Amino acid sequence: MSRIGVFLCHCGENIAGTVDPGKVVEAANRIPGVVHSIDYKYMCSDPGQSLIREAIKEKGLTGVIVAACSPRMHEPTFRRVCAESGLNAFLCEMANVREHCSWVHEKSELTTAKAIDLVRIMVEKAKRNRPLFPIKVPVTKTALVLGGGIAGIQASLDIANAGHKVILVERDPSIGGHMAQLSETFPTLDCSQCILTPRMVEVAQHPNITLHTYSELESVDGFIGNFKVKIRKKARGIDEKLCTGCGVCAQKCPLKKIPSEFNAAMGMRTAIYTPFPQAVPNKPVIDKKRCTYYLKGKCKACEKACPAEAIRFDQPDEIIEVETGAIVCTTGFEVLSTEFFPEYGYGKYKDVINGLQFERLASASGPTLGAIRRPSDGKEPETVVFIACAGSRDPAKGIEYCSKICCMYTAKHAMLYKHKVHQGTPYVFYMDIRAGGKMYEEFVRRAIEEDGVKYIRGRVSRIYEQDGKLIVKGADTLLGAQPVEIEADLVVLATAMVANSGAEELAKKIHVSYDSYHFLAEAHPKLRPVETNTAGIFLAGACQAPRDIPETVAQASGAASKVAALFSADELSREPVIAVVHRTAPPIFSICEGCFMCEQACPFQAIEREEIKTRDGKLIKVVAKVNPGVCQGCGTCVALCRAKALDLQGFSNEQVYAEVMAV
Amino acid sequence: MDQLRKKARELLESGAVKTVIGYGEGSGKAVRAVFIRQPEQTEKLILDERCRQNLAVYLLKPEVKNLGKPAVVARLPVLRSILELAAESQLADEQMVILGISPDGQLLDLAGLKAVADYVSAQSLELPPPEREQLEQIEKKSPAERWNFWQEEFSRCVKCYACRASCPLCYCSRCAVECNQPQWISSASHARGNLEWHLVRAMHLAGRCVNCGDCARACPVGIPLNLLTRKLGEEVFKDFGLRAGTTPELKYALATFLPEDQEDFIR
Repeated sequence: MSRIGVFLCHCGENIAGTVDPGKVVEAANRIPGVVHSIDYKYMCSDPGQSLIREAIKEKGLTGVIVAACSPRMHEPTFRRVCAESGLNAFLCEMANVREHCSWVHEKSELTTAKAIDLVRIMVEKAKRNRPLFPIKVPVTKTALVLGGGIAGIQASLDIANAGHKVILVERDPSIGGHMAQLSETFPTLDCSQCILTPRMVEVAQHPNITLHTYSELESVDGFIGNFKVKIRKKARGIDEKLCTGCGVCAQKCPLKKIPSEFNAAMGMRTAIYTPFPQAVPNKPVIDKKRCTYYLKGKCKACEKACPAEAIRFDQPDEIIEVETGAIVCTTGFEVLSTEFFPEYGYGKYKDVINGLQFERLASASGPTLGAIRRPSDGKEPETVVFIACAGSRDPAKGIEYCSKICCMYTAKHAMLYKHKVHQGTPYVFYMDIRAGGKMYEEFVRRAIEEDGVKYIRGRVSRIYEQDGKLIVKGADTLLGAQPVEIEADLVVLATAMVANSGAEELAKKIHVSYDSYHFLAEAHPKLRPVETNTAGIFLAGACQAPRDIPETVAQASGAASKVAALFSADELSREPVIAVVHRTAPPIFSICEGCFMCEQACPFQAIEREEIKTRDGKLIKVVAKVNPGVCQGCGTCVALCRAKALDLQGFSNEQVYAEVMAV
Repeated sequence: MDQLRKKARELLESGAVKTVIGYGEGSGKAVRAVFIRQPEQTEKLILDERCRQNLAVYLLKPEVKNLGKPAVVARLPVLRSILELAAESQLADEQMVILGISPDGQLLDLAGLKAVADYVSAQSLELPPPEREQLEQIEKKSPAERWNFWQEEFSRCVKCYACRASCPLCYCSRCAVECNQPQWISSASHARGNLEWHLVRAMHLAGRCVNCGDCARACPVGIPLNLLTRKLGEEVFKDFGLRAGTTPELKYALATFLPEDQEDFIR
């Protein structure tokens, strides 16, 4: 027989102001199973907690109802009180008579009656509570970081410096990501590579970091603390141990006209190439789609030239299997190419480029060594038009969001141009200037006031070519939408930042959700920004939404601290509110029929298959089994199961039914 | 029919199967399911317009399983039931031989579930006009009229569960209605109990029903139960583009969320 204690909190006037505590206590005393009922001004205070402690011991309570605030507020407090007094923490329940009752109703008989109902409901639940015990899951203290841009680099270094092993996987031949491509960075105009490359080297040399470049994620299985990951290490076509990175191979390669990805097609590379001089690792790869040997079966110029004899044309892809406890996804973004814009010439005008291409023009390591020269004829442009919000904030283009970084980098571009071409005229067409950030607004003002960048508020409707000039037609909305026509030598589109083309596929591989723009989704937009809905998988950087470098780095460190916290114990302790599959004595074994629709419905991949066998190994039945380490207790499977073979511990069918019937 | 008898005989003689589930003459003009276990009994097999029962229902019954590996005579609805059961991990390729029957009564050569799936996908799964009309008749009613219509129909229900017994997809060893801890669905045959049972049954078959119509045929009091599951099947197809019993892989619309799923119903 249950011996339940009811503890009603006044919460000062918060509850007692509209609910009559005396009546609730009296009514609670009459509920069958309740042996003790008392009210107090602040139940969460020390004396309040003592009331509970004493009652548990003196009255031998088997269940505790604290009628007070939301369980979100003080359930942990009262569960701890119960546990300290020898009562299983999960036998403690909260009846929310504050948020659900006193705060939302006027003082009346009905409000008190509702409070009594809420108590009665929880008494019925508590009568059917069973002691539960936290679930322990072992943790593999190795983190997998996907993507070697600045986010991945920062996260890897932070985790590695916390003393844990890191496996960093990068799709491209070198780490560095987009940040390595940038010229200078706003708002300080410090050289991007100068601040990035030391960190790239640190990653490569860190004893706790294993770097896999030119590698892609093949598959992820398992769950928090215990992921099993397969990585495809694509064949570079060279023996990395022998290669010294001397670069002779690239010099000898006869194919020299391949658009360089690193230079955003502003420069050329060879078929065997190192993406940029500071690449980490500084080892070349062979582009198998373009290399003459792979296409036609002969050439091998690089092999003949290589002094270390490191070329391996027949090298196969390698699958590496690793076990990790956490995954940090830092896969970054792409920028739209100019081909996306019919009104700006579908990308067919050579002198209409995007922001990333301008970065390469302005970069000292770029194809022009930092001189601003337009792609068509190599002339120094006298007039440059920068168009912000190219694609962004345009529902008609399907990109309704703000790409966030363009206002700032457009100001930077205009400034860099002005610094390099003193007599030149930069124009910026903008919708709004969004310069929220430390020293950001000041930076934009500097571009306008000190460097004389001409800002025109309005959109550009069309660009066409005429006599070697680009005619930019727009409107100045601050002058009553007066038409503006500018003869430009170069047009730079601040094209939208979009999700990586493989983002959806990746999200499916690592089982995280994504939004309608294919950016990966965080668990909570404000309070859990670096976590995903899958426990143990974290996000950082622009794979989640457009971000600038400071935000990306901050988020990467945030994700790293989450990983470090996860790795701080040898075992994970999780709430035992999880689904369980019905099991019973032979000959039934389980009413689960093994249709495994729950397996498909489970958002956390917590459903496994279990074979029920006789002692001599004959298969009787295959039924569902819930992995307690993965299950988040959402109850989706419970609702889906037709046979009611699944139930949720702590919120069982029986309890919910009793709660409903108590009203 | 001769093709079928010949094939059934071969299968039994060679020992490839231990029993052939097909149709035979019952009492009067009725057709009943027959379980042929001797080659000479294959003459009992018949195949005509009256043979419409969904024989897939027998494949999961323990009594039938105990007879050994079966061959089953399968028109389109049976083929679809088999695919749906395979998708739900209840049947596997090696567990049965499928004697597929085309709409004009010819024996089909369907070796394995893959072949069945290919055959089914090549068939039109659109509702035939009379079946669509039946749905439209009910859709035309106002919600109040519809409620009264079903209340009237359900009022005749005697909770014999023939609908459940006839349905190949009602294979739970313990049905939700038999769960009494707690008793979510009232087992009594009163207005509320009947409503609860029929709605829960329909929901449990939503997007799984292959529209064979056996539940309605089995109903001793003539409730047109299949209209509920047929309607839900059409809704699932409309919203998610999936039809039950078209592939042996599990693709259950109501268990998955895809970003491209229509959400017009949440408004």
